[in-house]
Amino acid sequence: MGAIYALVALGIVVIANAVNVVNFAQGENVMLGAYVAATLTLTLHLPLLSSYLIAIIILGLYGYVFQRVAYFPLRKKPFITVVVSTIGVSLFLKNIARIIWGPQPIYFSGLFGEHTIQVANIFVDPQNLLIIGVTTCLVIFQYYFFAKTPLGRQMQATAQDQEAASLMGIKVSRMIALTFIYSSMLAAAAGVLLAPIFFVSADMGGSLGLKAFAASIIGGFGSVPGAIIGGLFLGVLEIFGAAYISSVYKDVFAFVILILILVFMPRGLFGEKISTKV
Amino acid sequence: MNKKYLRAIIGVLLAVVVLAVPSLMPDNYYVGLANLTLIYIIVAIGLNFIYGYTGYISFAQAGFFGVGAYTSALLAVDLHVNFWAALPLSGISAAIFGVMLGLPALKLSGHYLAMATIGFGIIVQMVLQNWTPVTHGASGIGSIPGVSIGGMELASQTQYYYFLLVFAILAAVLSWCIEHSSMGRSFKAVREDEIAASTSGINLTFTKVFSFALSALYAGIAGSLYAHMSSYISPDTFSFDQSIIFFTMVLVGGAGTVLGPIVGAVLLTFIPELLRFMQEYYMALFGIAIVLVMLFIPQGIVSFFSADSKLSAWLANHGLHSKERGGNT
Repeated sequence: MGAIYALVALGIVVIANAVNVVNFAQGENVMLGAYVAATLTLTLHLPLLSSYLIAIIILGLYGYVFQRVAYFPLRKKPFITVVVSTIGVSLFLKNIARIIWGPQPIYFSGLFGEHTIQVANIFVDPQNLLIIGVTTCLVIFQYYFFAKTPLGRQMQATAQDQEAASLMGIKVSRMIALTFIYSSMLAAAAGVLLAPIFFVSADMGGSLGLKAFAASIIGGFGSVPGAIIGGLFLGVLEIFGAAYISSVYKDVFAFVILILILVFMPRGLFGEKISTKV
Repeated sequence: MNKKYLRAIIGVLLAVVVLAVPSLMPDNYYVGLANLTLIYIIVAIGLNFIYGYTGYISFAQAGFFGVGAYTSALLAVDLHVNFWAALPLSGISAAIFGVMLGLPALKLSGHYLAMATIGFGIIVQMVLQNWTPVTHGASGIGSIPGVSIGGMELASQTQYYYFLLVFAILAAVLSWCIEHSSMGRSFKAVREDEIAASTSGINLTFTKVFSFALSALYAGIAGSLYAHMSSYISPDTFSFDQSIIFFTMVLVGGAGTVLGPIVGAVLLTFIPELLRFMQEYYMALFGIAIVLVMLFIPQGIVSFFSADSKLSAWLANHGLHSKERGGNT
C-alpha cells in the first residue's frame, strides 16, 4: 500500500514541481487507469500485459487532454483557480465512471490470481511484491530520465524557472504537456497495480488521491525522494496504527500525522526551502 | 433614470421576491430547499472571511459546520438543553475548533494550508462517525427537537423560512459591517501582502486566527440551525465533498464580496436540484460546470455586474446605463 501511495504521490509531485499546481484529480486518474485496463481485459479479452500497456497509453493521451482543458487556459490565474478546476474534473470523472461502469465494484484479478507465495512462515501476496518491484523500477527510471536525458533535463529546467527555460529555447508548453502526460501514466500504472488488491470502483480514487497528497507533504512537498518515503511511511503507519491503536480510525492516522508534521516541521521530512522575498 | 432610484427599485423588488419565496415555491420540498439555501448562505458568508477577505484557503468549513450541528444536537438530545442555549454554544465550540486550526495554520499557506484544512475536515468526519459512545456513530442522531420561540414551536417549513431568513440577513449585515471595520481592512491587507501588512502594524497572528474563528463561528451557528431544522443529522453530511461545495459557492458567487457567497449558495443549492431530472448525469455535469466557471468567470458571477466589468462597459457603450449618465437625468 505504501508503494502505491508513493507512486500516486510521485505523480502529484511531478506536476506540482513543473507548474506549482496540485492536481486533485490524480486519485481519479488512478481509478480511470484501473477501469480502462479492466475493460480491455474483461470485455475485449486482451491479454493482461497488453491491456496494462494500452491503459497506460490511453491515460497518457488523457493527460494531454486534461492539461489542455483544465490547466493550460488557467496557467496565468492564481493557484486556487486551477486547484478548484482540477477538483471539478475529479468530480466529473468520478461520476462519469459511475455511469459508464455502473455502481458495482468490478473484480479484476491481476497476473497472479489468488495465489500466495510462502516465504518461511509468512504468506505473501505476489501482487504486493510486484507493486514494490514496479515502483522501484519507475523511481529509478524517473531519476535516470530527469537527471541524464536531454528531454528530462528540459522538463526539469521548465519546472525550475519557466521564463529562463523558454529563453534557453525550451518549448515550455510542450514540456508542461509532457509532464501531465507522464503524471497520468504514473497514475495508470498505480491503477492497474492496485486493481487486484482493491475492487475497481468509482470511489477508489478519492481517498487515495488525498492520502497520496498527504504523503507528499509528509515527505516534503516538491521533493521526489520525499514523496516516496512519505508514501512508504504512510503505508506502514496505517498498517501498524490499525493493528495496535484502532482499526476504525485507520483513515485518520494519515491526516493526524500530516497536521502534526505541518505544525512541527512544516517543510516535511525532506522539504523544499520556503523563503519569502520582500 | 437616476441610478439611485434604479437601485432602490431593484432592491425593493428583490426584497419582495425574497419575502415571497415560500409562496412562489411549487411545494413544501422546495421550501425546505430554500431553507437549506439560507443555512448554506450563512456557512458561505463565514468561509468568505477566510478565503474572500483574508485570502487563505480552507477546506474545513464542512467540519466546522459539523461541529456546530453535533454540539447542538447532542446538547438537545442527550442533555435536553434548550435551542436558544445550544445555539450560541454551538457557535462557540465551532469557533474554538477554528482557533485550534487557525494556530497551526499561521505558518502555512498554499498547498500546505489546503491539505491541513482537508485533513482537519476528514478527521472531524471520522471522529463523528466512529466515536459512537458520544456521537451516536454512523447512524446519526435523530429526533432533535425543533425550534420554539416564546413557547410557540415552529411547525411548517414556511415558518422556518422566515426564522432562518432573519439569521441569514443578520449574518450578511454583520459581514458587511466587519468588512468596513478596521478588522475587515486588516483582513484585506493580509490578503494583499502579509509582510507589508505586518510592517504596517497589523497583528498577523490575531488577524489570521480571528478570521478562522469568525468563519468557524458562522459555520457553527449554521450547523446548529441545520440540526434543529432537519431534526436528523449524520456524519455523511459533513464530508470533504461538502467542504468543496461550500468553497465553490464562495468562488462561483465571487469571493471578497458580501453578495458573492449569497449568490453562490443560491445557485449551488438550486442548480443541482434543477439538474436532478438528468439523474446520475447531474453530478458529472456539476463537475464540468465548476471547470467552466473557473475558465470563464474566475472572479465569480458578482464580478459580472460590478462597475468595472466587461458587461457594464458593454452596457455603457450601448447607452443603456453608465456611471456618468446616471446622475444627470
